[in-house]
Amino acid sequence: MSDGPGVVMRESGARGWWNLRGDGDEPRFRDGVAAVVGVSPPIEPCTWHAAGDRRAYWLGPDEWLLTAEHGTEFESPLRGALHGRCSIVDVSGAQILVNLSGAQAGEVLRKSSPYDFHPRRFPPGRCVQTNFAKATALVAANADASFDVVFRRSYADYLRGWIADAGREYGFLRGSLGTDHPTRRQRQPAQDDD
Amino acid sequence: MLLIPCPFCREDRSEEEFSCAGEAHIARPEKPAELSDHEWGDYLFMRTNPRGPHRELWVHTAGCRRYFNVLRDTVSYEVLVVYEVGQPPPDPPGGDES
Ligand SMILES: [Zn+2]
Repeated sequence: MSDGPGVVMRESGARGWWNLRGDGDEPRFRDGVAAVVGVSPPIEPCTWHAAGDRRAYWLGPDEWLLTAEHGTEFESPLRGALHGRCSIVDVSGAQILVNLSGAQAGEVLRKSSPYDFHPRRFPPGRCVQTNFAKATALVAANADASFDVVFRRSYADYLRGWIADAGREYGFLRGSLGTDHPTRRQRQPAQDDD
Repeated sequence: MLLIPCPFCREDRSEEEFSCAGEAHIARPEKPAELSDHEWGDYLFMRTNPRGPHRELWVHTAGCRRYFNVLRDTVSYEVLVVYEVGQPPPDPPGGDES
């Protein structure tokens, strides 16, 4: 094995998060979401759409998780743009997003979950909600072969520790994704040596 | 461990992502107050418990969190059919059970 870390975990700074529900078969709903968010809600199960920093993850047949840079306002514009039966709930502050990169990032996923994270089954653009350690998480495959793992803030200490432990045998590095929050201090990448 | 095809995620997923919510197609009585204790007890607790194909309600707890029905063989554990809530129960394939 090379000297470099096999797994790098970078935690996102503060972001905006929204839970969206509605009828994905209704074109007016999809168009309304796309006009405000910049991405349409994916209809194909277990996929996600992105445009820049804005993302829409499929959570269920009528449910999506939206995320955007901190300070973005989606709730009232969506309420204005959407018609019919739908709901938009600001869940910012409830989630943590960590990015796992490195040659062995997939190994950490496979150690943590019963889901089949083989690249053939889980190419870029896919996302799944599944068991992760003894909690649950949303895992998304990125175009750069890294993975984003989204979980509840209440599990954050546990899952950060779990991922560090699972990655240790491959060489583990904890870094920072930077932040879109201007007041948040940027942490320096540091070797995890606990 | 079972692989269960979730009709909403549209892929086979591990049993531990799911929870079984018991026998499917148990209709709640229209007027519970008019039932005897015996009838109410039947509604709450009495189940067919067949040996063979069994219609069950499952929920994809760790995944899409949707409920759906499964026709599962209680002897072999084979998942025979999955179908959405509200659809009529399929007949057990080639079976005469239950
Ligand atoms: Zn599902």
